[in-house]
Amino acid sequence: MDVWSYIWAGMLAVFAGPEALAVFDIGISITLVMVIFGFLLGIVVGAIPGLGGPTAMAIALPILISVFGFAPDALLPVMGCLIGIMKGATIGGAVPAILFNTPGTPDSYMTTLDGYPMAQRGQAKKALRIAHFSSASGDTFSDVVLIVCAPFLALLVEAHLDLPEKTALLILSLSFVAAAVGGSVGKGLIATGLGLLAASVGTGEDFYPRLSLGAAALNRGFPIATSVLGVLIVGGVFHQMTQIAADRMRQSVPTPIPQETNGRLTWADRRALMPVIARSAVIGTVIGALPGIGSTLAASIGYTTAKARYAMRKGIPEFGQGAPQGVAATEAANSSVSGANMIPVLSLGIPGNTAAVFLILAAESIGGFAPGPSVFRFTTDSVNPELVIAFGLFTCMFVANLLNWTIGGIFMRSLGFLVRVPKQRLLPVVLVVTLTAVYVQDPRMEVIWFTLGFGVLGFGMRLVSMSPLPFVIAFILGGRLEDSARQAFAATGGDPWFLLTHPLAAAFVALSVLIVFIGVRSGRA
Amino acid sequence: MVFGLLCVAVWIPLDTDSGLVEQVRRRVSVGDALAPMLAACLVLLGGILTAVFLPDTTDTHHAVPGAVSFGAKMLGVLVIGFLIALYAGPIAVAVYNIAQAEPLEYRLVSASLPWKYIGFGLGGTFAIAGCIAIAEGRLHWRAILIGLVAVLGMVVVFDLPFDDLLLPPNGDY
Amino acid sequence: MTSILSSLCMAAALAAAAATANASDWIPPGPIKMLIGFHAGGGADTQARFIAEELEKRHGWAVIPKQVTGKGGLNLAAALKSAPADGTVIGIAVTETFGYNMAAAPNAGMTPTDFTGLTTTAGFQMGVVSLREKGWSTIEDAFAEAEGGAQLRFGVMSPRLADIAYLLGKANGVAFNIVEVRGGRAVLDGVNAGDLDLGFMAGIQSNGVAAGDLVNLASALSEPLKQTPEAPTFADLGMSFNSDGQFVFVAPAGLPGDVQKALASAISDVVSDPETEAGQLIAKAFGGPVVVTGDALQAQMAADYVAARELLLAASQ
Repeated sequence: MDVWSYIWAGMLAVFAGPEALAVFDIGISITLVMVIFGFLLGIVVGAIPGLGGPTAMAIALPILISVFGFAPDALLPVMGCLIGIMKGATIGGAVPAILFNTPGTPDSYMTTLDGYPMAQRGQAKKALRIAHFSSASGDTFSDVVLIVCAPFLALLVEAHLDLPEKTALLILSLSFVAAAVGGSVGKGLIATGLGLLAASVGTGEDFYPRLSLGAAALNRGFPIATSVLGVLIVGGVFHQMTQIAADRMRQSVPTPIPQETNGRLTWADRRALMPVIARSAVIGTVIGALPGIGSTLAASIGYTTAKARYAMRKGIPEFGQGAPQGVAATEAANSSVSGANMIPVLSLGIPGNTAAVFLILAAESIGGFAPGPSVFRFTTDSVNPELVIAFGLFTCMFVANLLNWTIGGIFMRSLGFLVRVPKQRLLPVVLVVTLTAVYVQDPRMEVIWFTLGFGVLGFGMRLVSMSPLPFVIAFILGGRLEDSARQAFAATGGDPWFLLTHPLAAAFVALSVLIVFIGVRSGRA
Repeated sequence: MVFGLLCVAVWIPLDTDSGLVEQVRRRVSVGDALAPMLAACLVLLGGILTAVFLPDTTDTHHAVPGAVSFGAKMLGVLVIGFLIALYAGPIAVAVYNIAQAEPLEYRLVSASLPWKYIGFGLGGTFAIAGCIAIAEGRLHWRAILIGLVAVLGMVVVFDLPFDDLLLPPNGDY
Repeated sequence: MTSILSSLCMAAALAAAAATANASDWIPPGPIKMLIGFHAGGGADTQARFIAEELEKRHGWAVIPKQVTGKGGLNLAAALKSAPADGTVIGIAVTETFGYNMAAAPNAGMTPTDFTGLTTTAGFQMGVVSLREKGWSTIEDAFAEAEGGAQLRFGVMSPRLADIAYLLGKANGVAFNIVEVRGGRAVLDGVNAGDLDLGFMAGIQSNGVAAGDLVNLASALSEPLKQTPEAPTFADLGMSFNSDGQFVFVAPAGLPGDVQKALASAISDVVSDPETEAGQLIAKAFGGPVVVTGDALQAQMAADYVAARELLLAASQ
C-alpha cells in the first residue's frame, strides 16, 4: 500500500466502520457518533467549573472500553471519543470564563481577563463568538501541522535513532518536563524521581517483584490507571474540595448581566482578529509539540505576547478592560495545543500533557496500538494496521474540528446555566465514580487503596505547589526508559558508556543536563 | 530528601533480587536495583536543590489553613466507605444464614440479586454523602439522595449492560 | 448473559449439583473467574476472551475474564494457587510459566504440583526471524556473518528464550548480544526498525514471511515450522534444547476429577471447533489447535519443570 491508500484506509476506517445507526438509509459509523458525542460532552464538562477534559476522559475511558471491548476495532471509537472530549472541553471552558468571570478550565483563566469585562459591557455574545472563532481557527492550524509533521518526525526517528539514542531521547524529554513544568527544577526533579520509583515497584526482569516489601498486593506493581487517576483526578478533587470548604463563608452566587441582543461577529471583525489568532496559533502549536508544557502555559504566553503587541494601539479597549484581541489570543493559543500535542504522542510515544496521557492510557488498555515511531512504517506489500489507525485518528481530529466550526459555537452559547452546578456536591460524586471506574477495569480492592494513596500524594504535591504532571509522565515513561536502557546496554555488548559514546545520544544527554542547569540558574535569579 | 536517602540506603538493597549489575550468561547485564536506585538519587538531588539552592518562600501563601486535616477527613470517609463496600455483603449473607438450614457463601452468590449490590450501595452512598457533608459542614438529606442517585447511575452504566464488569467489591470474592 | 438469567441458572445449579456429578453436565457452583496472564489486546488475550464467550454461549456458565499479568505468568500462578479448587477460578498462561519460570524462581515457592492442568489450546510457531534485506536465508548465514566479526543483536521475549539463544550461539561458536524485550510484538518492531538483527517470534511473523519482508531462519521447535518446513530445526543445529510450548488452562491443585474433566472437555471442544471465533483465531495465529489434557498434560508439566532445571544449569555455564 502507498501513502495515499493508507490515508484513504484511515478515513474509511472512520466513516465506513461499523455502523451505529442509519439516517435515511445512510449509515453513520460508530466512530463518527463517538467523536460527536465526545465533543458535545467535552463542551459541557468544560463549561462546568471544577470539571475539565481530564476528569471526563478518566470517567469515560472504562465505560468506553467496556462498551467496545479489547479488540483493535475498539481503538478508533474510544480514542475518537477522547479526542472529541479534549477539543470540546477547551472551547467549553470559555463559557463560564466570559459570562461569570469563573474559568471552567485552567486554560481559560486568561479568557476571564477580557471576556468578563466585555460581558459587563453587554457584549457577552460577541465575546463568546470571538472565543469560538479563534478557538476553531487555532485548532485547524494545529491539526494541519500535526498531520504534516508527525509522520516525518517518526520516520526520522526510526531511521536515525538506535537503542542508545532512543534511551537518551527519553532522558531528554523527562528532564525537559522536570525543568519546564511547575516553575521549580528541584520540585520537578523530585516529582520525576518519585514517578520513576513508583513505576519500578513490582516490575523489573527478575522473577522476584522488586520493592514489593514481600506483599502479594504489590506483586503486580501499580496499574497505570491508579497512578494517573489518583494523582491527577483524586488529588485534584481533594485540593478543590479544600478550597471550596475554605471559601464556604464567602461564596457569592454569580448574577447575570443584561446583554445586547445583537452580538454578531462581522467579517471585518474577523479580519481584524486574524493577526492575533495567527500569532497565538503558532505559539500554541510550538508549545503543544514540546512535551510537558500544556495549554495553560500556551494560553498565558499567547495572551501576554498579544498584550505586548497591542499595548501601543489606539482605538481598541486596553487589554484587561475587555479587548476582543485578548479573548482571541487566549483561545487561539489554548486550542492550538490539542493537535500539536499529538505529535510527540504518535511519533515518539511520549505524552505531552494530561489529555495526551489519557490517549496513551486508552491505547495501553485496549492494546493493538503502541504509539511510537513504529506506527509510521509504510509497508508496501502488507497492511500496517497501526498506520491505518493513526490516519483514522487524524481523521477523527478533523471531524472534531469540523464540529467545532459548525455546531460547537451554537452549543456552547447555550450552556451558561451550568455555572450554577454546585461543585461541593458534584466533586464527591466524581471522586467515587473515578474510584469505581478504576475498580471496574481491574476488579480488586487494592486498586482502590492504591488510587487513594496516589490521590493523597497528588494532594500533598499540590499543597507544596509541586506540579503532579512530571510524576505522571515519569510513571508512564519509567518502564520504557528502563527497558530501552537495558536493551541498549545489552545490544552494545555491555558498554556502560553507551549514552556517551554515540554522538547523538551524547548530545541529547548534554542537552538534558543543560536544561536542568538553566532551570536551576533561572530559578535562583 | 530523607525519603530519597532511605530508599538508596535501605529499601532498594533489601527488596530486590539482583544487584546493580550482574553476570548473566557470561555477560554483564543491568540488575533490577539500578533503575530504582537512579530514581531515588533523582529524588535526593531534587531535595537538595530545593532545600539548599532554591529556598522558595512563596509556598506558604498558597496553603489553605486546615487543608491537611480536611484532606485527612475526606480520605477517612472514602476508606470507611470502601471498607463498608468490602464487608457489608458477606456480613449480610452471614446474618441471612442464621435462619437458614443450608448456608450461602458470599463468593458464590456475589453475582446474584440482591447480594451483589449490598456492599456497593451502602459503601458508595456513604462515601459520597460523607464527602458532601464534610465540604458543607453539615449532613443534609439531599447529600444522601445524591449519593443514592449516583450509585444507581453507576449500577446502570457499569453493571446492567455488561456481564464481565464487576462493581466493588465483587471482584475480590 | 444477563444477571437475572445468571441467578436463575445458579439456583438451578445448586439444585442439580447434588444430584449429578457427570462430567458432561457439571454445573459450576458460582460464576467462573478466568484469569488471563497476558496483556489486553494481543492474540493470546483475544483467544482467552473468545473462549470465555463461547463457554457462556454453549453451557450457560457465567465466565468473567480478568487480567492478571506480569512476571512471566507467576503473578497469575500465585493468584490461582490460593484460589478455591471448585472450578470457579481457572487461569490461562503458557507452559513456560509452570516449567522454566517456576524452576528459575525457587523463592516464589511454586511447582507444577500446586496446579491442576486442564488443557492446552495451541502451540507457538516459534522461529528465529530476520529481515529479508539482511540477505540471510538460514541461520547458518547469520553465524557466518558473526564469525566474520559482526556483533549481532538477538531479540528475545523471556528469560528462557534468552538462555536458549545463548546456548544456540554457544553451540555454534557465536556470542550474540542478547536483548530482552517485552513480548513478540516488540521483537518484531525491533527487527523492523533495525534495532535488532534477528529474534524469536512466536507466530507474529507469519504475515511478514508470507509477504516476503521477513525470513524464518530456523525453527526453534523440535519439529519444522508449518509455514517454512525447509528452515532447519534447533536439533539440526546441534541444540539439545528447544522452545516448545503451548497455551495452557490450569486450575488450583485438588480440583475434583469430574470438574477437571468437565472444564477440560468444554474448553478443548471450543478450541478444536474450527467454526468458533476462538478456533479460527487459533488456526490463523497459532498454527491450529494443540490439545493435551488429563494425565498426559500433568506429566508434560512435570517433565517441563525438570527439563527447565537442565536448561538453567546449562545456561549458567
